Amino acid sequence: MELAKFLIMRSELSLLAVVLILLVVEIFSAKSKQGAVVNLATGLFLLHTILGFVPVATGQLFGGMYQHTLLTGLMKSVLNIGVLILIMQSSGWLKQPANKGRVSEFFLLILSTLMGMYFMLSAGDFLMLYLGLELATIPLAALVAYNLKEMKSMEAGAKFILLAALSSGIMLFGISLIYGSSGSVYYAEVVGTMEMNPMQIMAMVFFLSGLGFKISLVPFHFWTADVYEGAPTNVAAYLSVISKGASTFVLLTLLFTVFKTMFDAWEVLLYAMAVLTITLGNLFALRQQNMQRFLAFSSIAQAGFLLLGIISGTHYGMTTVIYFVLVYVFSNLGAFGVAAIVYNASGKINIEDYRGFYQTNPRLSLVMLLSLFSLAGIPPVAGFFGKFFLFAAAAEQGYYWLVIIALLNTIISLYYYLRVVKAMFLDRSEEPIGLIKSDVLTRVAIAVSVAGIVAAGVFSQVFDWIHLYGWGM
Amino acid sequence: MERILFYLIAAVIIVFSVLTVTSRRILRAAVYLLFVLMATAGFYFMLNYNFLGAVQLTVYSGGIVVLIVFAVLLTAHMDHKLDPPDRLKALAVGLLSLFGMGITLYALRSFPWAVTALPEGAYDIEAIGMRLLSYGDKGYVLPFEVISVLLLAAMVAAIIIAKKSTSND
Repeated sequence: MELAKFLIMRSELSLLAVVLILLVVEIFSAKSKQGAVVNLATGLFLLHTILGFVPVATGQLFGGMYQHTLLTGLMKSVLNIGVLILIMQSSGWLKQPANKGRVSEFFLLILSTLMGMYFMLSAGDFLMLYLGLELATIPLAALVAYNLKEMKSMEAGAKFILLAALSSGIMLFGISLIYGSSGSVYYAEVVGTMEMNPMQIMAMVFFLSGLGFKISLVPFHFWTADVYEGAPTNVAAYLSVISKGASTFVLLTLLFTVFKTMFDAWEVLLYAMAVLTITLGNLFALRQQNMQRFLAFSSIAQAGFLLLGIISGTHYGMTTVIYFVLVYVFSNLGAFGVAAIVYNASGKINIEDYRGFYQTNPRLSLVMLLSLFSLAGIPPVAGFFGKFFLFAAAAEQGYYWLVIIALLNTIISLYYYLRVVKAMFLDRSEEPIGLIKSDVLTRVAIAVSVAGIVAAGVFSQVFDWIHLYGWGM
Repeated sequence: MERILFYLIAAVIIVFSVLTVTSRRILRAAVYLLFVLMATAGFYFMLNYNFLGAVQLTVYSGGIVVLIVFAVLLTAHMDHKLDPPDRLKALAVGLLSLFGMGITLYALRSFPWAVTALPEGAYDIEAIGMRLLSYGDKGYVLPFEVISVLLLAAMVAAIIIAKKSTSND
C-alpha cells in the first residue's frame, strides 16, 4: 500500500497532528501561559480547517472500513467551521484563573471528540461507527464536568456518562443483531440483507435509539436540559451544535443507505419522533427561566425540524438538512456565545437578568437578537430559509400534516424567543448587567457567527454548493 | 450434554445479572458481576473460541472487576446500604422489562437464523493477530489505532476529573 493513499484521510491525520502537538506543548510549557496555548490551538485549528477545503481524491481505505466522499468532506468542513467558532468563543473562559493549568486538556478532549465524529461520518462499517461514537462521547463527559468546583457540573457529567453508557449499550445490542442476521458489519454487505421482518426492524430501532440519544430526540432527551444546565456554557454549546450536527449527518447517511430498504419502518418512527420532539421541546422551552435550560429545549425542538428533511428521503431533503445544520451552527453559536460571555463576565444566567441589556451592551444584544431571530425563523436571516426549505422538502413528498404541525410550533417558538428579546430591549432594570469587554478572539468568533447568519441567508450559492455534493435515496 | 451445559451457564448469567442490579450493597454487586463475566467466558470456551475466553477471563474477571472492587474500597462506604426502591416504581419497571423482553423474544424467534460454519483456522491466534494488524480486506488495524486515540483521550479525561484543582489554594 502506498503511503500517498493515506492522504484520503487527511482530515483525521491533520486533526491527530494538532492533538499531538498540543499534547507535547502541554508537557513542555509553563502553566501560566494560558493565553499562548489558546492562541496556538486556535491557529492550528484554523490551519486544519483551511486544509479541509483543499480537494483530495475520494475513495476507500482499510478494506472499506474508512470511506471518503465529497459529502463526508463537506460535512466535516461544516463541523470544522462550528468548532473553530466555538474554540474562539471559549478563549475568554479558558483564560480565567480557575482554568489555570487545564487549558490544553480542554483542546485535547474537544478535538478528540471531533475526531470521533469524523470517524462516525467516514465509517464504512458498524465497528468504526461505534468506536467513533464512543470517542465522541467519553471525553465529552469530562468536558461537561470541567467546572470541578461546581457540584452541578459534576452531577451533569455523571448523568451524561451513565445515560451515554445505557444508550450505547442498547445501540450495541442493535448492532449485534444486525451482525447476527447479516453476517457482516460492513455497510456494503449489510445493505442487501436488511428486510422488513420483526427482528431486523427491532435491530434498527435499537440502533437508532443510540443516535437519538446523541441528537436528543424525544423520547431520548431526558438528559439534555440537566446536562446543558450543569455544563460550562461553551461545552453546552458544543453539545448542542457540533455533537448534534455530526449525529444528524450520520443518521441521514445511514437511513439513506444501509436502512434504505426499511423506509416504511423508519418513516413511521421519524414521523412520530419529529412531532413529539418539536412539540415537547417547544412546550418545555416556554417555561424556562435559566438561559442554558432554555437553549437546551430550544435545541431539542430544532432537532425535530431536521427530521422533516430526513423523512423526505430526497436529494433536496438531504441538502436542506445540511444547510439547516450549517445555519443552526451559526445561529446557536451566536446565542450561546453571548450567553457564555455574559455568564463568564457576570455570573448571570437567568432570562430576567437580561433586562435592560440593550442599554449597557447594545452590540451584544443585537447579536443575540439576530441569532434568536434566525433560530425562530424570521426573514430575512438565514434561519428562515433553513426552515422554509425543510418544510418545502417535506411538503414535496406529501407530508402536509407534519408540515402544519411544524408550522404551528414555529409560531409557539416565536413567543419564547421573543421573550428574551423583550427582556433585552423593552424591559428596564434597576441593576442591568454592566458593560462587558471581551477579548479579541471572542469578538472575532461572534463576528463570524453574525456574518454566517447573514451570508447564508443572502447568498443562494451556499445552498447550491451543498446541493452539488448531496444525493437522494 | 452441550445443550444442558448451555442452559446451565445461561441460568448462572441471568441469576447473577439480576442479583448485580438488585443488590443493595455495592461490593456484593461487584462480586456478582464477577460471576456474570466468568460465566460469559464459559460461552466462548463452548464455542471453541479459547483465545476470547482467555481474554474475557483475564481482562474482565481479572482486571476490571478488581479495579471496580478497588474503586469501591477506596471511595464508597463499604457498609452503606442503598435505600430499598419504591414499590410502585419497582413494579412499573418490572412490567416494562417483561414487556420489552416479550417483544424481543418474539422478534428473535420469528427470524430464520442461518447456521453458518466458520472457515478452518478462524480461531487460530496467529490468524487473529494477522487480521488485527492487517490493512487490507477484513483487516482491523484502523479500529486498533483509533482505540489508542480513544484511550489517550479517556486518560486525559480521567486525569482532568481526578486532578486536584491548583487555583484556589
